Amino acid sequence: MYHVEVVPNSTTSHATPGWTYVPDKGFDPAKAAIAPSLGRKRGIRDPARTDVSSRQTNAIVRHLAELDRENHRDVAISVPARQLKDAAGRGTRTKTTSNVRRILQSQKTFRNHLDDEEAALAQAASSTTASTAAQRLSLNKITKSSSSRRSSTPATTPRPDPATARSKKDLPSPASQKPSTTDNTTSTNQEHDSRDPGNGLIKSQHDNDPLLKSYTPTAPSERIMRALLSEPPLTYNASRAGPPVTRKSARKFCCICGYWGKIRCRNCHQRTCGIECYKVHEDSRCGAFF
Amino acid sequence: MGTTKPRPAGRNSIAQTQALPDKTFIIDNGAYTMKAGYAPGFPPPDDEETALSACTAIPNAIAKTRGNRIYVGAQIGTNVTDWNEMLFRRPVEKGYTVNWEAQKEIWETSFFDEKTVRSKELRVAEPEDVTLIFTEAPNALPALQKNADEIIMEEWGFGGYFRCVGPSLNAWNEVQSLFGDTLLQQPGAAISPTECLLVVDSGYSHTIVTPVYKGQPLQRGIKRLDLGGKHLTNYLKELVSIRQYNMVDETYIMNEVKESVCFVSNDFSGDLEQTWKGNHKHGQPELGDGVVVDYVLPDPNGGKKGFMRPHDPMLGTKKRKAAFSGGAEHLSEDVLVLGNERFAVPEILFTPSDIGMKTAGIPDLILQSLSVLPTGLHPAFLANVLVIGGNSLLPGFMERLETELRQIASAECIVRVRRSKDPIRSTWLGASRLGTNKEELKKVAVTRQEYQEHGSTWVGRKFSGAL
Repeated sequence: MYHVEVVPNSTTSHATPGWTYVPDKGFDPAKAAIAPSLGRKRGIRDPARTDVSSRQTNAIVRHLAELDRENHRDVAISVPARQLKDAAGRGTRTKTTSNVRRILQSQKTFRNHLDDEEAALAQAASSTTASTAAQRLSLNKITKSSSSRRSSTPATTPRPDPATARSKKDLPSPASQKPSTTDNTTSTNQEHDSRDPGNGLIKSQHDNDPLLKSYTPTAPSERIMRALLSEPPLTYNASRAGPPVTRKSARKFCCICGYWGKIRCRNCHQRTCGIECYKVHEDSRCGAFF
Repeated sequence: MGTTKPRPAGRNSIAQTQALPDKTFIIDNGAYTMKAGYAPGFPPPDDEETALSACTAIPNAIAKTRGNRIYVGAQIGTNVTDWNEMLFRRPVEKGYTVNWEAQKEIWETSFFDEKTVRSKELRVAEPEDVTLIFTEAPNALPALQKNADEIIMEEWGFGGYFRCVGPSLNAWNEVQSLFGDTLLQQPGAAISPTECLLVVDSGYSHTIVTPVYKGQPLQRGIKRLDLGGKHLTNYLKELVSIRQYNMVDETYIMNEVKESVCFVSNDFSGDLEQTWKGNHKHGQPELGDGVVVDYVLPDPNGGKKGFMRPHDPMLGTKKRKAAFSGGAEHLSEDVLVLGNERFAVPEILFTPSDIGMKTAGIPDLILQSLSVLPTGLHPAFLANVLVIGGNSLLPGFMERLETELRQIASAECIVRVRRSKDPIRSTWLGASRLGTNKEELKKVAVTRQEYQEHGSTWVGRKFSGAL
C-alpha cells in the first residue's frame, strides 16, 4: 500500500530542536544596539568577525543604558498624598472605573510594556507559521530591516532610484559628447531648478535633447498616497534608525581629556591621546576590565 | 445608550448625537515639559506671540529635593531654590506616557485642582465641556495608547477627545513664511495643513523624523534615533565627573550647564585642536580662547545662579592669593572649565558612533526616512524640513544639519532646513490651529458619548485611521 502525500519542504515549519537554517536578514535595528552578535566567550578580547569585541560591545551597551537613566541612583519618589481634596475636586465626576484602577495601580515600566509587545508579536508569528505564506510575509514585514521591507510591500510602485536615474542619463551618451558638455548639462539643470518657470527662459535647439532633459521624478498618484497614508504604524523596534549610510570608521577619543585617542592601552584597550593622559589613565582608571 | 452615567444638570438626559464641545484644551505631553493651554477661537491670531501666550510649559515631573521635600509639576519651576541633588520621577518614559499614577497627580495639580492650578487659563473646571487634544510620540505601543484612552475618558471624562501623533500637528502651523514661500491661504479661510513637511523632532528622550503629508504622518517613513536631550545631559555629566568634579547626582544643574555652554561644532576637528591642552604648553597665547569657557556653579546658600564666563587661566593663582590676603571674593565659587565637552557632547546627535552606537546620525536619519518613500516626494520633503524640539536651540545645530543634509542629499533637490520660531511649543501651536478648524476636528475626534457606546478598542481603531 502506497501512501502519497506532499512532504512539506519549507525548512522553517518543522520544529526540530537543535538547529535550523534561518534566513540572514542582515542588519536588524532592533538588536544592533542591544545584543552583541557574537557568542559569550568567543571574541571576548579580540574582535573576531565584527569590528568590536564582545566586551567592548557590552561596555557600550552598559554606557548607553547609563546615559538613558533619569537619576544617577535608583530612587522611588512616591506621589504626595492628597488629603480629602480628591473628593471635593472631583465633584460631578463619576466613580473610578475598573480600567482606571488597573492603569493607576500598574507599576509597569516602558521596558515591561515593550517586552509584552515583543512576546505578543512572537507568539502571533509562531502561530501563523503553519498557515499561508502571505501571512508570513506580512509578519516578516515587521521584523525585517527597512530596506528589504520596501520590496515586500505592494503599495508602492517601482520607481527609479536616483542613482540609477543618473546612470541612465550617463549611459546613452554617444562618443561624440565631450565631458565638458556633460558639465554644462548639470549646471543648466540646476539653473532650471532655481529659476521660476515661464520667466523668460532662453530657447535653444538643445532644449529637446534627451541628454539635457532633467529626470525629475513625478509626484506619486493620489492612489499611491492614499495607500501610503493608510498603512499601519511600524512597531517600536522597527522604527529605530538603521546603520549609517556613509560608512566612516568610528572616531576614537582620549578617555581622559577628549582629544583624539591616538594610543591604545595594552591592558584595557581604552584610548588616550598621549603619554601624559596615558599616565593618568594607568594610575587611576586602567582596571583592565574590558 | 449612554444614560448609565449621571450627567451634569441642565443637559438633556435623552441621548442625542452629542456634538464636540466648543472649548478645546491641548496637552502636548512631553517627557521633560508638557505644553498645555486652550486653543483660541476662530479666526486664530495672526501673530504667533499672541497665540502662544495661551500655552504654558510645565515641568512634567515629580521632584524630590535634598531635604526630602516633594514638588509636583509647576511647583518645580517656582518653589524650589536648592537644586542640588534633585531627583526626578517622570511619568513619560522614552517619549511615551507610561506611569499614569504620577501623570494623574501632575495633571490634577496643574489643570483640575482649583487650589493648585496656576492660572485660570490652565484650569479645566468641567472636562465634560472641553475637547482634549492629546499628543503622543509616533510608533507608540498599542497597550499604552489604550491606557491613555481609557484613563482620559473614564477618569476625567472629557466631552471630546483626539489623540494624535505629535509631530504631524506641525503641518497646521503657518510654515510658508518660515520657508519664504508665498502664502497660499486666503485670509479668513479655515486653516488647512501644509501639503508636505518633514518634521525633525529632537526632544528630551529621542529624535524622530516624521514625513507629514497633508497633516497625516506617512507611517513607513518615521524613523527614530534613541538619543535626545537627556542623553546629552547625562553624557556631559559623565565627562565632567571624570575630568573635574563629581557631578553624577546633579542632573538638573548639568542640564543648565548644557543649555548655556553646549554648541554644535561646524568644524569638529578644528575646534578639537583649539581646545587641546598641549597647545597651551608652548608659551603660545591662548588658542582656545573662543571655545574654552568657565561655568560658575550655582550657590544655593548665597542664592546665586550659575552662569558662563570667558575662561580665566589664572583663576587658580588668584584663588590662592585671595586665600592669603583674606579676600573671599573668589573663594566661595566653584568653577567648571569646559573645553571640548562643549561641542563633543551634542556631536553624538550627528555621529552616534562617537559613543559606540551603530546607528545613523540625524542627517542620515532623514535620508533613511525618505528612502522608503516614492522618489517623487523627495524634492518636496527635502525643501520643507522643519526642526522642532529643545535640542534645535543649541547654537550651530541648524547650520550643521543643513550643511550635512545638503552634502548627502541628491543634487537635484533643493534643501531647506528651518527651525520653528518656538521649537518647544511648535507642536502645541499646530494643535491650537487645528482646534480652530472645527470641521476638521469633528472628523477625527470622538465624543464622550461615542466612547461610552463603543469602548476604547473602537476609539483606538478610529485614531489609527482604520474607521
